[in-house]
Amino acid sequence: MRAGFLAAILLVAGGYSYGAFADLSYLSSAGRLGPGFFPRIIGVSLMALCAYSLYADVRRGRAAEALSPFWRTVAAVAALSAAFVVLLDLIGGLLAMIAFMAAALAFLNRGRHLQNALLALVLPVGFYLLFKVWLNAAMPRGLLPLPF
Amino acid sequence: MDIFANLLLGLSVAVSPINLAWLFLGVMLGMVVGIIPGFGPAAALAVLLPVTFGMEPTGAVIMLAAIYYGSQYGGTITSILLNTPGESSTVAATFDGYPLAQQGRAGPALVMQAVASFVGGTLGVVLITVLAPLFSRLTRSFGPPEFFLLVMMGLLTLIVMVGGNWRYGVISALIGFALGTVGVDLETGNSRFTFGSAELIGGIDFIPIAIGLFGLGELYHAFYTGLHATGTGGIVQYQKERRFWPEVRDFAETKFALVRGSLLGFVIGVIPGAGATVASLMSYSVEKSASRTPEKFGKGAMAGLVGPEAANNAASSGAMVPLLTLGIPGSGATAVLLAAFVLWGLTPGPLLMAQKPEFAWGLIASMYLGNVALLALNVFAIPLFVQLVKLPYRVLAPAVILICTIGTYSVNGSIIETVLMFVAGVFGFYMKLYGFSPAALVLALVLGPLAEQSLRQSLTISRGSFAIFLERPMSLWIVGVTAAILALGVVMRRARRVI
Repeated sequence: MRAGFLAAILLVAGGYSYGAFADLSYLSSAGRLGPGFFPRIIGVSLMALCAYSLYADVRRGRAAEALSPFWRTVAAVAALSAAFVVLLDLIGGLLAMIAFMAAALAFLNRGRHLQNALLALVLPVGFYLLFKVWLNAAMPRGLLPLPF
Repeated sequence: MDIFANLLLGLSVAVSPINLAWLFLGVMLGMVVGIIPGFGPAAALAVLLPVTFGMEPTGAVIMLAAIYYGSQYGGTITSILLNTPGESSTVAATFDGYPLAQQGRAGPALVMQAVASFVGGTLGVVLITVLAPLFSRLTRSFGPPEFFLLVMMGLLTLIVMVGGNWRYGVISALIGFALGTVGVDLETGNSRFTFGSAELIGGIDFIPIAIGLFGLGELYHAFYTGLHATGTGGIVQYQKERRFWPEVRDFAETKFALVRGSLLGFVIGVIPGAGATVASLMSYSVEKSASRTPEKFGKGAMAGLVGPEAANNAASSGAMVPLLTLGIPGSGATAVLLAAFVLWGLTPGPLLMAQKPEFAWGLIASMYLGNVALLALNVFAIPLFVQLVKLPYRVLAPAVILICTIGTYSVNGSIIETVLMFVAGVFGFYMKLYGFSPAALVLALVLGPLAEQSLRQSLTISRGSFAIFLERPMSLWIVGVTAAILALGVVMRRARRVI
């Protein structure tokens, strides 16, 4: 998996370097160092280092690390976080927070229904009051014409 | 005399009722942030940045700085009672703090760590008071070559000293530099890597990246290691009434460790990139070497707890010196503090102390008061924070995700930045899992534009000759110090294997 991660960075670094060489000039029109100077150094260095690290890992024959038994929990929490971000834009900040807390606590804090219900309501309302009402900070409104 | 007058000016700013209130709120929040594993000061500062938008600049920075150094105090409580460091800089406190608690000496360990943190933090602020103006005067002669070398020094120090695979550290920094090049090139006005997106013209804001890497990424990793499943069943109980206070011999045995840890921590903290974690681990190593009974280390030696605690707090004070006088942060958390300064229209650097004395000295003076407040909190309000330690991670974690997400959105009201924060969180998880350095990435992202600008200016001045980095006396000094730090890093890596 580490090799896959390095390979992904190498791929992106390749695209970045291509952009630095193809689209950005090394010298500016005034003859000074241009916008491509620094990105070219960074892109080439990144590619070289990723390629070497990948080679060193493969040559060492590093066995694939065993997955933690909790990887499913990580995947589920990440999926819930992603759904939360999507919901923010759809149903607005307050409802999305309540939905996320309810789902996350139902998954992580199983069996404690009353505690979960209370937390899923009290914390989002608290954050809403803190950010929106007290601090007047931006809070997603969502697509529905709700008053909050 | 100047220093004394400036400090009085700073105190007059810091003791205003509103600034005292922000200071107290900051140290309380810092304690809480320190206690929550997987939620460090960098993420907390980034999340709380929008909270300070309605505040007066000095009060805002006083509060944010208090969160930063307050977290060093809080992180130790979980190290001692739960054998789980709240912060990476309090890892060393688990070596002897937890064994002390298991021996029924949790009370003395908690009080001694508070005293050590106070001594380290306060001595660090005294040294800032004396040295920051000198640094400020010294660095006024710095030009582009020196600034470029300082940025490189900070990043190399971070990569070499913190440990792990150095190649992965450099890759992390290069990714940060690459992200820093997105947006309009300020010298030529050309767009770079914006793909026609209006959102990217201004560059990638580092706040969502910092919250993602340090907040979500750490949290996912904590789940991966099963922190939510372990619960707090292993917490060591202690009695507030009996055997709570340290004995005279505890102070007698650790008086030199306190001073050594404080001085070592401050010096390491001043070096950009080194930071509190390196300081505490080095202090532990020094104390073990200096002890007449090194065999007691790891089994409940009070000096093994006190030295590193003094060191990490002194280091967090020391890190303020390059931040205030050069505008160069040495860690993820101080990078967020730098962003806060810039948001308030304050430009940290050689002229800050001369041009905005009420701000710079107000911040320094507030750190004296903050350390006193933290000492009192740590001694008299420990039961309150122990209750927080008992909160299960499976309940805390969703609340942290909530804060990270809403905090990111509220900075600019941008859903794209919120998505970016989530992507950075997933990327940060893999970085942590495979030994890369999120701190190096964030630091390079923040310092990337300065590095590029100063490199291009230096080469323009020298007409393309890299010899400019070795021709000026100050540049040579910085190169020499960097070489020394790299050599020390190699020695430390070997020493760490021995420990």
